[in-house]
Amino acid sequence: MKKRMLSLALSLVMAAALTACGSKAPETTAAPADTKESGSSAEADGAAAKDVQKIIDRGVLKVGCKSDIPKFSLQNTATGEYEGFEDDLAYEIAGSIFGCSADEAKEKKLVEFQGVTAKTRGPLLENGEIDLVIATFTITPERKETYNFSTPYYTDAVGLLVNKDSGINSIEDLDGKIIGVAQSSTTKDGFKKYVDEKGLKVNPQFQEFDGYPALAQALATKQIDCFSVDRAILAGYVNDGNQILEDRFAEQDYGVAAAKDNKGLAEAVEKKVTSMLSDGSMKTLQDKWGLQ
Amino acid sequence: MIKGLFDGKRWSALFTAFPEYYIPGFLMTLRISLVGLAVSLVLGVIFGMFSTSKWKLPRIISRIYVEFIQNTPLALQVMCYYSVLPMLFSSSGFRIPKFVLGVIGVGVYHGAYISEVIRTGIEAIPKGQSEAAASQGFGYLETMYHIILPQTIKIIMPPLANQALNLVKNTSILAMVAGMDLMYFTDSWGADRGYFAQAYFTSALMYFIICFPLARLARYLEIRSMRLPVAKKLDIQADEEAAC
Repeated sequence: MKKRMLSLALSLVMAAALTACGSKAPETTAAPADTKESGSSAEADGAAAKDVQKIIDRGVLKVGCKSDIPKFSLQNTATGEYEGFEDDLAYEIAGSIFGCSADEAKEKKLVEFQGVTAKTRGPLLENGEIDLVIATFTITPERKETYNFSTPYYTDAVGLLVNKDSGINSIEDLDGKIIGVAQSSTTKDGFKKYVDEKGLKVNPQFQEFDGYPALAQALATKQIDCFSVDRAILAGYVNDGNQILEDRFAEQDYGVAAAKDNKGLAEAVEKKVTSMLSDGSMKTLQDKWGLQ
Repeated sequence: MIKGLFDGKRWSALFTAFPEYYIPGFLMTLRISLVGLAVSLVLGVIFGMFSTSKWKLPRIISRIYVEFIQNTPLALQVMCYYSVLPMLFSSSGFRIPKFVLGVIGVGVYHGAYISEVIRTGIEAIPKGQSEAAASQGFGYLETMYHIILPQTIKIIMPPLANQALNLVKNTSILAMVAGMDLMYFTDSWGADRGYFAQAYFTSALMYFIICFPLARLARYLEIRSMRLPVAKKLDIQADEEAAC
């Protein structure tokens, strides 16, 4: 019995040691190769903050982007590449961190994209899986307490997508109907505010879904009457059977988010975004992707 | 995520949101669990008896039901009830209430499993028991009710409790179709504020609050069914016979 216990304890210790090695190994092997390569770019950046230096040492900026929004950030199913306005913005930021141009950053694959949803982007950012979230992330006072947001890089409004045969033609028709919204979106509060401001008596029921495809499917099967999210996202789901209503409300600002602790990184991002806004390159980038 | 786990501000945010999110979610999950459990038990007993019946037709029906439900994922079934089933009734957007959807979803799913549990329980009783019952003039239902099912209970109680607990936990799949259950509200609040650690931890605790008493109840019933002294029942019968 004693022997068995001993062997059990031993195997446990060994297992622990093994896992410890496993998690450490990649870091130690990867570090020397990267430091040589990135030494010059770190100098160019001057005295980089600790968290920025970590990214430079790693040699890649990990960015969470949506993978299902045309024009903003869409993963090309053939190549696996992320293409869109937000992805180009990620390359721009990577360029400024690594001290090269955006095209070079793209060529050298200095950005590692990870597909995120409204639900996963927060936790992924907080546990350090990704450095930045550039995923139609609306800036709100509550979220500012949890994350570091940059200056808004794009302003969008919420739209309403309804089935053509539903007989809903304006926001007034939505009284008592079911509006589907995305989890962790600000649509619900925006809708209520808009209705109050206009003095309308519209009292719909809200249901939250995880992901836009689920919402589109619920609308197509008529389980919800209206699909309401940011217009940028809605545009990707318009087809012959549905239409976007005229109403637009809850103007909202998208910001680049970094974890609360990564102050240096947030500063670097802020610097890049504001400079892009002031020199008009942000506008050029938006025009390139056909965003108004 | 772990960093934020002991953040007092986040916990206080949770307590303010608790009545609005967690209470209705908890009640919905509890209601779906209880009614779903009743439905699955009824289905389980009916189809369990079907699959041990001596006629071929009920056996076939029961087999089809069990094999079909057991070999498809619950998520897919719920999705079907949610978006495909209403189309059979009308094309103009008939909606099944979320509560009914949940009861059908977990009830039908676990009904299939429970019917298998009951079938194996019945088959575990020696054939001599039903032969003896038949020799005493018991009909099929009477044999089942008085002789076979009471004996199967102590055999099937552990796997049955297993199913009941899984049923409670599987109600969480409703969150996928905005089922207004505990998981739905957890996701909703967690995603809203970004305080996932608090949201999920509390949710886990509330599922535990439902599951733990259920597990204890099943254990109690199991012990009681084992303790049931057979001799005592015989005594009463003997007395009755003597009285006759």
